Amino acid sequence: MTEHTTPLLDVTDLQVELITARGVVRAVDGVSFTVHRGETVTLIGESGSGKSTTAMGVLRLLPDGLAVLSGSVRIAGRDVVADPGVAHAVRGRTVSLIPQDPMTALSPVHTIGRQLGDALRLRHPELSRTQARARGVELLAQVHITKPETRWKAYPHQFSGGMLQRILIAIALAGEPELLVADEPTSALDATVQASILDLLMELQERTGIGMLMITHDLGVARLVSDRIHVMKDGRFVESGPAEQIVARPAAPYTRELLSAVPRLGAWDEGEPVRQGAAS
Amino acid sequence: MLTYLARRIGQSLLTVFLTLTTVFLLVRLAPGDPAAAYAGPTATSADLDAVRAKFGLDEPLVNQYGIFLRDLFTGNLGTSYSFHSPAFDVVMSRMPYTITLAVSAIAVTALVAVPLGVWMARRADTKRELGANVLTIAGQSMPDFWTGVMLLTVFAVLLPVLPASGFTSWSGLVLPTVTVAVLQLALVSRLVRREMTTALAAPYTTVARSRGVAERALAWRYGLRNSAVPLLTALGTRFAALLNGVVVVEVVFGWPGVGSLVVRALATRDYPLIQATVLVTATLAILVQLLVDLAYPLLDPRVRLGKAA
Repeated sequence: MTEHTTPLLDVTDLQVELITARGVVRAVDGVSFTVHRGETVTLIGESGSGKSTTAMGVLRLLPDGLAVLSGSVRIAGRDVVADPGVAHAVRGRTVSLIPQDPMTALSPVHTIGRQLGDALRLRHPELSRTQARARGVELLAQVHITKPETRWKAYPHQFSGGMLQRILIAIALAGEPELLVADEPTSALDATVQASILDLLMELQERTGIGMLMITHDLGVARLVSDRIHVMKDGRFVESGPAEQIVARPAAPYTRELLSAVPRLGAWDEGEPVRQGAAS
Repeated sequence: MLTYLARRIGQSLLTVFLTLTTVFLLVRLAPGDPAAAYAGPTATSADLDAVRAKFGLDEPLVNQYGIFLRDLFTGNLGTSYSFHSPAFDVVMSRMPYTITLAVSAIAVTALVAVPLGVWMARRADTKRELGANVLTIAGQSMPDFWTGVMLLTVFAVLLPVLPASGFTSWSGLVLPTVTVAVLQLALVSRLVRREMTTALAAPYTTVARSRGVAERALAWRYGLRNSAVPLLTALGTRFAALLNGVVVVEVVFGWPGVGSLVVRALATRDYPLIQATVLVTATLAILVQLLVDLAYPLLDPRVRLGKAA
């Protein structure tokens, strides 16, 4: 990454305040980071650390009346904090979201073909339904959905969680984005399925050079996919650096705590950090 | 599917039968004498006995019920005391008017309440939504005879643009339709608003927003479509209720439907006419409910008929 290229995502001193029943909570307290083309940057932290709030804030998907953003979030050079219109303009084009829980991320009463076709036609309004379908079937094949032609007319409840996440990745790709925001894309899935979804994401990144902002609480995931990692706690970054360095030589005590929390067969008394705070 | 349909039809027949039996007993338990109503105030007790014999009302209750059932299965619902013609024919001559009013009122309700509910959901918790709520609840709180009389006063008397009574032209449909629809607006619009609010807060809406779907399309395509099942249920229930006749509105506007017929049948203790009315309206209401249930799988692919019923 050379100094003078504009980053895909350039977040500077982002703060997010959430208005809750118990008062205003500063869920994100001044974080700054960048994501360049072809790069995966991971925010890791436990529940309530503000990592998902950061991701949703970047896309301006937090409810307007309940979240107040300050700082700047430049997506391909345009600031979505200063101008909500920019967020409308870049969503589904420059940036796409891969959601946390694939089981609830698709409308249950529309076929997956309808939802994928709509996404394609939003990006390319000139496509006819038949053309959109041909493109959509191609995309489904790319995310390794077998027999995509016959599954075009199926409803979300007829798929497993892993397959739905593949379909959601296809829908995210329909907008031909330069940046993917993956908000814990595997945490609702079985361990065996998790690996295949991560494989798919890395395969896509290799082929298209897409930039990725990965949100996870899972150090295994972070280690596998990231170029750089930011460790997040109570709305702030406690440590940032290249993935190997964070994993091999953690500097902050909290990162070491997080590393020791990786489950392995061992003594029962090994630290299991449980923290309270705003919902992530 | 066929098993489900057969079971539902069986249940429906049983419901109609039990309803008819209940009504048969209730009208006979209620105070009032059809013979006295029929023969008039000057009738002697011999006249009354003659009338009772003529209508079979001198038989013990059990025998009357037996005759009623026997006639029912041969398709004979008896002769109306006051119309002197088959009760079923009298009811059927009124049904088109009741159906016309019910269809028109439910259509106007849906056409106004659905967009209004969508509008309210998109402006949830604003002053304008509160204003819309106050207006529709005011409409629901006004008794229909009052709304009807006010509308008559304004649009038929002060500004004579619409007919006051009866059904001589289609313009006669306007005021009764508005009166009935005003009563339903608050209920249906707030149902749409509530269901839409849930759908618009659902993860699939946020994810759709993340891929650039515009707010208007989110509301109509995702929000409303996901609210279709409760909406259809509410409209179906309201429609079935309207098919039973809107008694007060029909009387206020001199509407020749089943509602005003029922008033007359009850006033004259016209047992066969009451029973025929109940049979026809109950059957229609149950039919509407069945159609609504059959439509569920079309609106929500997760619904499988007969699996969880």
